[in-house]
Amino acid sequence: MTDEANYDGAFDAIVVGAGLAGTAAALTMARRDLDVLVIERGTAPGTKNVFGGVMYTPTLRELVDVEDAPTERYVAEKRYGILSDDGDETAVTMRPQAWNDAPHNDSFTVIRRRFDEWFAEQAVDAGATLVTETTVTDLLKENGTIVGVQTDRPNGAIEAPVVVLAEGANSLVSEGADLKRTDDRKDVAVAVKEVRKFDRDVIEERFRLSGDAGAAYHYFGDGAVGDTVGGGYIYPNKRTISIGVAYRIEDAATRNRSPEDVLNDFKHHPAIAPLVRGGNMVEYSAHAIPEGGVDAMPDLVHDGAVIAGDAAGMVLNNGIHLEGTNMAIESGYHAGDAVADAIEQGRTNARALAPYEENVRNSFVVENLEHYDFFHELIADDRDFLFEDLPRALADAQREYFRMDKTSKDEHVSRAKARMLDATGGWFGAAKKAWKYRKVLS
Amino acid sequence: MSTQHDDADDDVENPPLEDRLYTVKYSDSGESHLDVTIPGICAEKCTTYACQEVCPADVWEVPDGDEPPHIAYENCLECGSCRWACSHGNVEWEYPETGNGVSYKFG
Repeated sequence: MTDEANYDGAFDAIVVGAGLAGTAAALTMARRDLDVLVIERGTAPGTKNVFGGVMYTPTLRELVDVEDAPTERYVAEKRYGILSDDGDETAVTMRPQAWNDAPHNDSFTVIRRRFDEWFAEQAVDAGATLVTETTVTDLLKENGTIVGVQTDRPNGAIEAPVVVLAEGANSLVSEGADLKRTDDRKDVAVAVKEVRKFDRDVIEERFRLSGDAGAAYHYFGDGAVGDTVGGGYIYPNKRTISIGVAYRIEDAATRNRSPEDVLNDFKHHPAIAPLVRGGNMVEYSAHAIPEGGVDAMPDLVHDGAVIAGDAAGMVLNNGIHLEGTNMAIESGYHAGDAVADAIEQGRTNARALAPYEENVRNSFVVENLEHYDFFHELIADDRDFLFEDLPRALADAQREYFRMDKTSKDEHVSRAKARMLDATGGWFGAAKKAWKYRKVLS
Repeated sequence: MSTQHDDADDDVENPPLEDRLYTVKYSDSGESHLDVTIPGICAEKCTTYACQEVCPADVWEVPDGDEPPHIAYENCLECGSCRWACSHGNVEWEYPETGNGVSYKFG
């Protein structure tokens, strides 16, 4: 932004943040002929963003040509591993042949620095104005209605009928303007990631990949993140491997487990070490993840403003599904669409913008969050079972089941069963748990 | 148990934090974007030092005695964890301005 430029009142809408939600909103509005200003605090889109690594593209595909996007690898394999801190791993891995064919189940690893900049270019090509290195410090209000933003630039107040708040997990602007309360630390995870560079051949041999095929490995249990609620992951990219852990800030604060320690231990787990050893570290990064689910979502619509993406808590983590990118893009699209409708009607109060909230609630974003909401309670009730007893019981049970000795297979099976029943609280306990957890897979 | 596998001879490199931070492209505004709201709360009320516990970059260092934490803001990875972690709500957090702070290349 140059000091001379006068943006005040020149735009129909201002988008705070050029991440996935903000850019999806800007692109949608620009295509509907709105004058849109996107304000990004980083030196370029993506420079402040960190994610695990998988971009889910069903909504993106409807907005842009995904084939042109700077992706790393498509996800050809998913692996879910439960790690005990004795070094055991029990894993299930799947490689459906169909994932090798376009559209590759709409799942790609990407590097946000490249991807977000490309995505923002699509919005600029559609007519949006992007300014970088500019921080929104506050919202402008008149009689309780939001009428623009205050930035850190000279004469930095910019008025516009609508502000789309897509500022990410650390949502200082929304909270500062009382549009959202600060999340409880139980509902936010701290995530750290290390990216290491390898020869392409090493990555492909290590993860059994060819061409652009990639993989998403997710890990749970006290061998992954110790005595905390969370998980670890490994994503092979083209020439780098992303390794990370994420767990509740509450646990980081109270269980004497610093994010760096947790990451170090995860990398040393005997099931993980052979996948991550060697190479050169090219970056260490950290970010927060809002994981409070549907109950922690703020009001999405206000007089003159809407909230989208991570700022609105739209992240799904139920242990099996770890998703945020698709929800950010979907919510950004609905926000942009509703703002365009409201501007056409010449009214931008909460009532005029309400279809945004309605459409997000009727979309997979809130439907999925509601469907898996029970998982939050489960984790609270069952954390010892899930993160400590289960990983060990599974390892013991498989050892019994497959034990090579001169006792009968029958005997092995009954010992393995006994070990599992012991962990789950007998047949009755097992049946109860099976009932409780049925919804994770349904 | 935080060092359960540290003696493992597995060729896994876990570099010291300063080497990790050295990989992050960073521009210093010369002014801290972090602060404590009321220093007295850290000195008199806080016994848990959650800011120091959660920080992945050793930004917060609570000294012995009745002093508020030292803030190495130039280490900050901008995750914001300290803001939620502090049970006294005593962390002041602002975005670094005019493009300063971290610039991730592999986020």
